[in-house]
Amino acid sequence: MLALVTASAFFLRWLPTYGAPILMLPVVSGGAALAIYLTQRRRYRERSHGLAGESIEADLPAVLWTAVAGVALGVLGIVVVLAS
Amino acid sequence: MINSEQPSGQAVPPSRGRIAERLLPGGEEPDPRFTLANERTFLAWIRTSLALLAGGIAIEAFTSGLFIEPVRKGLAVLLLLLGMMLSGGAAVRWLRVERSMRSKAPLPLPLFVPLLAGAGALAAAVVLVFILWR
Repeated sequence: MLALVTASAFFLRWLPTYGAPILMLPVVSGGAALAIYLTQRRRYRERSHGLAGESIEADLPAVLWTAVAGVALGVLGIVVVLAS
Repeated sequence: MINSEQPSGQAVPPSRGRIAERLLPGGEEPDPRFTLANERTFLAWIRTSLALLAGGIAIEAFTSGLFIEPVRKGLAVLLLLLGMMLSGGAAVRWLRVERSMRSKAPLPLPLFVPLLAGAGALAAAVVLVFILWR
């Protein structure tokens, strides 16, 4: 989550260079960080119960959505770089 | 999720989601510590991916006095593509490891490790040549 927040701030730093189009990137990375923040309490609770019960279900949706966010950031970054 | 009981009195394991049943079929839940370790490794790769994405954005803006525009854009796009590949590759790796653990099979080799190492070495070599040539 902190890495995504840092990435958002980093993308914003280049706002004077790239202009408004760069804002798509902090929206995606900031949105992903917010989603992680809002769901982490539930996930920690499930994980701690799972550890106590010696059985944890793999968090497939979280992995897929995080990977999708990374790929989306790459696509948007390429669009911004080529359009600049 | 609530375990339901069959008429014979045996507990039925809670049903997983449809996507989980499709992408992680069969087998049995591995040791929870291994599942969590797999997830941590995935997140480490995602952090590396974010660093490459940030670097791709920065190189286009930061090196305007160092490289001509096509080289700058090319390097930026290369780093962004690498970051994208890492994100997707990390998810594929996570899935393959999770499937291996469920079926108690040997863990797969991480294919994008040599790719990333090769790409990093190539980029360093290009920069070295450029610096020596200037």
